Amino acid sequence: MKHCLQSMVTAAALAVPLFTTSAMAQDITIDLAGEPATMDPHKQWNPTSYYVYRNIFDNVLTRDNDGTIVGQIATSWNQTTNNTLELTIREGVTFHDGEALEPSDVVYSVKRITNKDFGSPQLGQFNKIVDASAAGNVVTLTTDGPYPALMAQLVKLSIVPEHVVEAVGDDEFNAAPIGSGAYAFSDWDRGVSVTLTRNDSYWGDKGPFETAIFRAVPDAATRVADLQAGTADLVVSIDSDAAAQLASSTEVKVLSAPTERVAYMGLNLDKPPFNDPKMRRAASLAIDRLGITEGLLQAGEIPMAQMASPAHFGYNPDVAAFEYDLDAAKAITGANPDLAATPATLATAPVFDQRIVQALQQMLNDAGFNISISMSDMPTYLGIVRSDPSENSELSFGRWSCACQDADGIAYPVLHSDSNWSRVNVPELDALLETARASLDAAVRQEAYNNVHQMVRDNYYTLPLYQAAVLYGAKSNLNFVPTANESMFLNRMSMPN
Amino acid sequence: MLRFLLQRGGQALIAVFGVVTLVFFIQRLTGDPTALLLPETATQADIEAMRATLGLDRPMWAQYIDFLGDIARFDLGRSFVQNASVWEIIASRIPETLQLAAGALAIALLIGLPLGVLMALTAQKPVSRWTMGLVLACQSMPTFWSGIMMILVFGVWLRWLPSSGTGTFAHLIMPSIALGLLSLATYARITRSAVVDELGKDYVRSARARGVGTGRMVCKHLMRNSLIPIISITALEISQLLAGAVIVETVFAWPGLGLLTVQSIAARDFVVVQAVVLLGAFVTIFANLAADILYSIVDPRVRLSGR
Amino acid sequence: MTARVTYPSWRPRAVLHWWPVGLLAILLIFALFAPWIAPLDPDRQNLLARLKAPGFEARGAVYWLGSDELGRDIFSRVIYGARVSISVAFMSVILSGVVGVIVGMAAGYLRGWSETILMRLVDVFLSIPAILLAIITVAVLGPGFINVILVLALTRWPRYARVAYGQTLAVANQPYVTLARAMGAAAPRVLALHILPNIIGPLLVVATLEFGLMVLFEAGLSFLGLGVQPPTASWGSMLSTGRNYVGSAWWITTFPGLALFTLVLSANLIGDRLGDRIGKGHR
Repeated sequence: MKHCLQSMVTAAALAVPLFTTSAMAQDITIDLAGEPATMDPHKQWNPTSYYVYRNIFDNVLTRDNDGTIVGQIATSWNQTTNNTLELTIREGVTFHDGEALEPSDVVYSVKRITNKDFGSPQLGQFNKIVDASAAGNVVTLTTDGPYPALMAQLVKLSIVPEHVVEAVGDDEFNAAPIGSGAYAFSDWDRGVSVTLTRNDSYWGDKGPFETAIFRAVPDAATRVADLQAGTADLVVSIDSDAAAQLASSTEVKVLSAPTERVAYMGLNLDKPPFNDPKMRRAASLAIDRLGITEGLLQAGEIPMAQMASPAHFGYNPDVAAFEYDLDAAKAITGANPDLAATPATLATAPVFDQRIVQALQQMLNDAGFNISISMSDMPTYLGIVRSDPSENSELSFGRWSCACQDADGIAYPVLHSDSNWSRVNVPELDALLETARASLDAAVRQEAYNNVHQMVRDNYYTLPLYQAAVLYGAKSNLNFVPTANESMFLNRMSMPN
Repeated sequence: MLRFLLQRGGQALIAVFGVVTLVFFIQRLTGDPTALLLPETATQADIEAMRATLGLDRPMWAQYIDFLGDIARFDLGRSFVQNASVWEIIASRIPETLQLAAGALAIALLIGLPLGVLMALTAQKPVSRWTMGLVLACQSMPTFWSGIMMILVFGVWLRWLPSSGTGTFAHLIMPSIALGLLSLATYARITRSAVVDELGKDYVRSARARGVGTGRMVCKHLMRNSLIPIISITALEISQLLAGAVIVETVFAWPGLGLLTVQSIAARDFVVVQAVVLLGAFVTIFANLAADILYSIVDPRVRLSGR
Repeated sequence: MTARVTYPSWRPRAVLHWWPVGLLAILLIFALFAPWIAPLDPDRQNLLARLKAPGFEARGAVYWLGSDELGRDIFSRVIYGARVSISVAFMSVILSGVVGVIVGMAAGYLRGWSETILMRLVDVFLSIPAILLAIITVAVLGPGFINVILVLALTRWPRYARVAYGQTLAVANQPYVTLARAMGAAAPRVLALHILPNIIGPLLVVATLEFGLMVLFEAGLSFLGLGVQPPTASWGSMLSTGRNYVGSAWWITTFPGLALFTLVLSANLIGDRLGDRIGKGHR
């Protein structure tokens, strides 16, 4: 069959380097939890797709391994007025088809992603950009009012070649993407794997691997088995217990890093029992966050007391941690046992760590609450948590990620009354969030967020739990530094023998 | 007979139509994919805008009419989750599904049939009981469990076979076994009872009296006559296999239609789900029709209903 | 004349015949008397005693079969799990069996339009992927114990319908049925008193084999995240979670696996014996 032939040819092609004396020709196989939805960087919002296409395309800006924003296609930038940003575009960058990357391609990419008719899922992150133009090697972006998160969002804007997209159309481009990144698209065996080959004329650090194969392996236990069997060199999305199994082997290792995902328990402030602030405080006192992060997760998670983390701009290091005091919790619920025993559902979905959900339920019930778990698939879960507070569940467990590393992306949707995720409706909070969103002055923003976090902490509007860590399984000799925004740049890895 | 075929054929098409209509509407009861396509930070306005772009904000009956129009033109539509034509997506998975189904059927037949014959021929002896016990044991563990155990033993510890994925014949072995084990027991039991029935018939005794050996008798006489129930079961087993494949494909990362169905349902990719169900409905309903025809041929007491 | 299977009288057939029933009885006792037999609370977590090997002792309590990923006692969870597995399987078999048999008998007896509509309905349900029905049922009705039974019943009733249909067709022309109809018996009476007793045999065989399958399918639903809600102990969900720990904490998956295997195998063996006896008696 076609695949047998294909894989035999690929195997033969991969085997050839083994028989040459060159130590440079090397390949890497990465197991992902699913297959990419699309290769078109503007057409989806999907971490799996991102892992792959991020190596094919360069973005306007990027973050280094410490999380600092550095240039990629843009070499320098200047905020000339509140509403305009000037970017100087790098020279000498070529696309995989040999054509040069011009500032007009940058303008084209911006206009494509902000075009309502194009229907990009990422539109909401870029729609404050109302105009883009190029003059010489400078691109000017005009926003609708001050937009402090613009730089963070530009980290996610990929540059596509105008001449290719216009010539072949969106569908063809998706099937055979052409970018300017360190790796070129080679093959997409739908449902099975995507293959990339090294771009030897890349302007920046070239990748160490000749070929990279991203495989789709939905089951976590199978990914772990693949790593142990040597079928894969790097696997994503494994949990700490799986990682513990790998710890005893010398051929593989576990890599971890704190991320910008914050796990939290949402409370419905409109329904009993959590419409009562004392009950909310009791719920917080009943949860042993350290027990969860160090007893259960053990991957480097850190308990959080705010809807932000050290990986975000707007994090307030002075907010006191939530206390854990089961007796105090019981005292509060004991004073009003009927209210505490109101049946409450904790909505969740299979993609979240169910050990945490069950541990949370146990802890709350030990304190006198009456919580039952309601697990449904992701779309149903999203429907529940985004519905009106009157139809919403009393509790939900989730992990929030905005991929922007800015408190605006996490605090605003969870706490502002306009947001369909939020069950909070506090005018002072709304005002603070809007101030932070509209000011370009970092000091003003930080001040506003400090107040936001303190208010949440004092009133228990929502219960942040911990900053999540991500775990990867890798071959022992693979050098890979996991980052907070979970990027996987092939040209930042190496695998010496 | 022709009248019967035409009428049943027509009814089958109506049934297929019924399935697809049912699935069309009940899927939409559960919401739509926009929430999953957008980042968490999307506002309600963003969601509505996306819905409009995808055409999901139109009334359901309008979407249904469009869908019928597409089907009439043999256009399976376009997946907005995967940004590709549905036909392309399905066509890329069909070879894998066929391979897995063929592999599982091969395992079930190549092991199940001989075991069934063995059990029939040794009916009074303990061999028969123990074999049946073994066969039933194959049907007594969930596939996700036997799958991961095989991966661990043969893929990780012994390293005889690849631990997951597709591509070579070696990749096909473990998934076929995992899926085939379930059908194996059915075939073994059916074969056993069919052969036991045949053994009691007069022609067998007269053949034995003429001195025909067991081997020749099995191959030449028994199997041919026992084949009919086996064939009619195969029609049902095929649709069973498509359903059981979902878990096997997930565990072994085998990119077939089962895995596609689960992922598309989870992503609320209606168009793909409808197309897969349409395909599956055709296979199931027409396979059942074939089984019914065979059944009426076998048992003349059944008069075919024709209306 | 059929080949009759006979046994020499000295063969210890009692042991060979009855051990599946014995095992099933033990599991039934587990299910019925769980609160008295189980040493510990099956849902009580102990984050400091996670993933401990069998025989581990903590705070005076012994974890005879070890503890799981949240520190719960495996032995107690296996005992309570019997309740879920057995009752889910039993009730879904009853529900799907009753619905399927009624539909099948009606189609086979009434013929004509009823037959056409009912059997095409059977085809329709057979064609809808079980996984789709499961996800949609959970999405619309919510998850939970009753809904798991509903999902299983919805996907399996067509099988009983087809068997009942075929059997009814074969039996409906028997002289005693024709006689009853000639004497003016109404359809329900004929179905209940004359047809049903004569087709119940193969249906019982199907039901016992379906019982085993339902136990496995409940496990499959748990694997896909659609089964009984956590923290309820079900063998299916324990097996599914335990897969991730086979290398490090084999007891999490082994003991529920053994229990599940025993239950399904016993049901299958009993079904097979029933099939032997009924098959022989009704040719």
